Amino acid sequence: MRTDRLQGALEMLILKSLEHKDNHGFGITLHVQTVSEGLLRVEEGSLYPALHRMEKEKLIAGDWRTTENGRRARFYALTASGRKRLAESENNWTSVAKGVRKLLRFA
Amino acid sequence: MKTPWAWLRQRRGRASQWQDELDSHLAMRQEWLHAGGLPADEARRAARKQFGNGLRTLEDVRAVHVTRWLDDFLQDARLAVRGFRKSPTLAVVAIVTIAVGVGAAAAIFGVVDPLLFRHLPYPNDRQLVSIGYFGPVDNNEFNVVASYLDWRRQQTAFQSMTSMRPAPASNCDLMAEETPLRVNCVSVEANFLRMLGVRPAIGRDFTAEDDQPHAPPVALLSFPLWRSNYGGDARIVGQKVTVDDERVTVAGVLPEGFEMPQLGAADILMPEQLDPTRPREANSSGFLRTFARLRPDVSIEQARTQMLPLFQQTTQLDVPKELRSEVRLVIRSLRDRQIHDVKLASWMLLGAVLALLLLVCANVANLLLARAAARRRELAVRAAIGAGRARLVRQLLTESMVPALAGGLLGCGVAWAMLRTLIVLAPEGLLRAGRTALDGRVLLFALAASLAAALLFGMAPALERPRAESLAGSRVAGAARTLFRRCLVAAQVAISLVLLTGASLFVRSFWKLQNEPLGYEPEHLLTASFTLREARYGPQASQSAFFRDLEAKLKRIPGGGLFALSDSIPPRGSMGRPYSNIRIAQHPPVAPDGGMVEFRWVTPGYFRTMGIRIVSGRAFEESERASGDSPVILSASLARRLFGAENPLGQQIALDGDAHWCPIVGVAADTRNNGLTETDPEYYRLRMDNASLPRGGVALFRTPLAPATLARWVRKEVAEADSSLPVTFQAMPERVGQFREQPRFVATLVGSFAVFGLLLAAVGLYGVLSFLVTQQTQEIGVRMALGARPRDIAFEIQSHAGAWTGIGIVAGVLCSLAVTRMVKGLLFGVAPDDPLSLAAGIAVLALTAVLAAWIPSRRATHVDPMVALRYE
Repeated sequence: MRTDRLQGALEMLILKSLEHKDNHGFGITLHVQTVSEGLLRVEEGSLYPALHRMEKEKLIAGDWRTTENGRRARFYALTASGRKRLAESENNWTSVAKGVRKLLRFA
Repeated sequence: MKTPWAWLRQRRGRASQWQDELDSHLAMRQEWLHAGGLPADEARRAARKQFGNGLRTLEDVRAVHVTRWLDDFLQDARLAVRGFRKSPTLAVVAIVTIAVGVGAAAAIFGVVDPLLFRHLPYPNDRQLVSIGYFGPVDNNEFNVVASYLDWRRQQTAFQSMTSMRPAPASNCDLMAEETPLRVNCVSVEANFLRMLGVRPAIGRDFTAEDDQPHAPPVALLSFPLWRSNYGGDARIVGQKVTVDDERVTVAGVLPEGFEMPQLGAADILMPEQLDPTRPREANSSGFLRTFARLRPDVSIEQARTQMLPLFQQTTQLDVPKELRSEVRLVIRSLRDRQIHDVKLASWMLLGAVLALLLLVCANVANLLLARAAARRRELAVRAAIGAGRARLVRQLLTESMVPALAGGLLGCGVAWAMLRTLIVLAPEGLLRAGRTALDGRVLLFALAASLAAALLFGMAPALERPRAESLAGSRVAGAARTLFRRCLVAAQVAISLVLLTGASLFVRSFWKLQNEPLGYEPEHLLTASFTLREARYGPQASQSAFFRDLEAKLKRIPGGGLFALSDSIPPRGSMGRPYSNIRIAQHPPVAPDGGMVEFRWVTPGYFRTMGIRIVSGRAFEESERASGDSPVILSASLARRLFGAENPLGQQIALDGDAHWCPIVGVAADTRNNGLTETDPEYYRLRMDNASLPRGGVALFRTPLAPATLARWVRKEVAEADSSLPVTFQAMPERVGQFREQPRFVATLVGSFAVFGLLLAAVGLYGVLSFLVTQQTQEIGVRMALGARPRDIAFEIQSHAGAWTGIGIVAGVLCSLAVTRMVKGLLFGVAPDDPLSLAAGIAVLALTAVLAAWIPSRRATHVDPMVALRYE
């Protein structure tokens, strides 16, 4: 499933991916793909604009670091307001999902 | 400060970082795929494929960072330009109107900015003050040496104080290769430059040793003098030059653009060498100008409070008893001291031109409103398909920004041309030489004025919410808008009336000044001024001999006409004497607090040459000059004041508070003897052969000869008497004309503002009426079809015009009465609420309104009912 089809979903996925560990863009795609067991895929074409927008909104903060493999990459970390946003969207998402599930069951 | 380059570099750096980030992503994916077992080139291909369109992604990232508003602005601006191309006349009228308004405002700002706002050329200029006694003796505060020495020693309010000798004593002769050059030498205290915060460009400043009495003389040359006379050669420092027959060492050169704090001319500065050891009486008659620098935390008010006890103490010691009640302490900022005469005129001109700019805004707002009415449907459509209100307001503001900026740009050109004209026209006091120019500040002002104007006139159409009815193209929604437009017209009429009233006041005042009898006849009078040097003419005998010799020589110039010699002449005042010094034989003492009396030493021919009438008694006679009594002639107003109804002729008076009795032989008619407007009491004394006369002299000739021819003769005769004595010539009408410069300048400027303002008001009125007629074409057609007479229709249109103009005029009269009171000080012989000026303004305005209303109302009467009914 392509995540940019659901507005807000991509943002939540990025925030969630960064919750426990700072990561670079590639790391985020890998994380999402691995954890979702291949069900979700993050498109690079959507990921980077989203990262930059979120950085501008101060949900995440980026800086250049070196990876374990000795490569330079831009790492992103959650900010306090990013953490808050994540909690909100998780709640939100859960209730939406719950509602959708009920609706599907009913029909 | 960040330079534009640094900013650009940073932006470029940011953009390449975005690319780097995407590249590092690709590289990591490739590595990962390779590690998963793919061959290197296949891994690269797969990574690229997965990534998709890299350029597009980079573009999207950039879009996050580049702000939307700029794009929107450019889009709106493009729209606006396209819109204005469709109605070029409107665009041209709007742009030209703005250009003239902004240009005039910027030019006037350019003139008054150095006077009112710009920093004076000294560090921390706001701390500098002028301080001294203020009394009827002088228009500016002054000081005397004895008091100043006490103040300097005992004061606590200032960081430092400094002093200089006032201007009249400052003429001196610099020998430049055998020919004398009349220059301005000013004696200043050693700390003068240091107090101002100025250092010499080359050489050294004065030291305390230079300032000791009888120290070897040193001098600082002004930058222009150094350039013109010594070729800008730095080796002049340390050399000796001859100033007033004395060898003076050049200590240094003043910086370029140095200004004296009182704005006087200064070619050479020399230490004033105040001598505290002289007796107090001697030091209390030595005049000074004194300046000080406030302590950082002390205000002028606090300084005054602190200085008052000292002032009272020295007043008791140094000011003659009869004058004590007339002097007070003045401390004012250096800026106020400098713009003393022109402060009011500057503010008035700035106010007038800003009023004009306001008129321009009202006018352009009116034009845009007319256009907005036509575009209402477009806006309603845009609102209906989802343009936000803020977005629409922004679009309308941008649209007003386009003509405003175009007009502003053109206005800079107008300002440049106008400023050049102003520099030629402006009287001396209103211009700071070299500081009035179209510079960054003026351009910035023009920009700010255009933007403010755009905001003002763009607001009007932007404020109206697009309504759904407008979609239907119905005309009902217009009522509120025309009301607003009517108010605009009324405001235009009001502002225009204020300008007109002001203009007619100034013109009337100037006319009066031009035609006021002076009491003397300036036509065909030529003046030749000179000052004897103290070093050469110190002994009274040599001075008397020189004057006698010179008089004889000048008198015999063929065709020289009537000739007289005086020590000063009107329209400038003389070195006056206190009224209370006068005593009349066998009379009680005169009243104290009488102010000052003008006083001149003249030869017998003075009254005939100047054309001053002798009212009673007789003029001086040549034969009296060798006799023992020193006869006096009073001006009519002084005679009236001293003697009332009594006959002054034959009375004896003493003039300097002593017992030197002089007979009164005549009474002369009053003259304007202190500027062109003041008639001070005055007395004349005959230049006796043995009198000790002032060293300054003015020779007067009433002659049909061309001034240049006479000047050549005079120069030759003077050179024969003393070859090292420079003479300055001036025709009397020119001398008098200098005093009329400022009123003429003010009258011309305000007059042209008023004319332009009137034109704008007329255009505004015309525009609104035309709009109204167009809007009511249908209605008028119906009424005409039903039998209304053209006269009724025309009358109705004109009564609209009458109503708005009337409201505007009432408001304008009220404003005028309030505003003109403030410019009272600039008027002569006219009261600020002069009914004639007000009536003239109203009449001109009403006439213009009738004319402006006439064309649309005629058009209304020519509406063809059939055409009108088929209109939609």
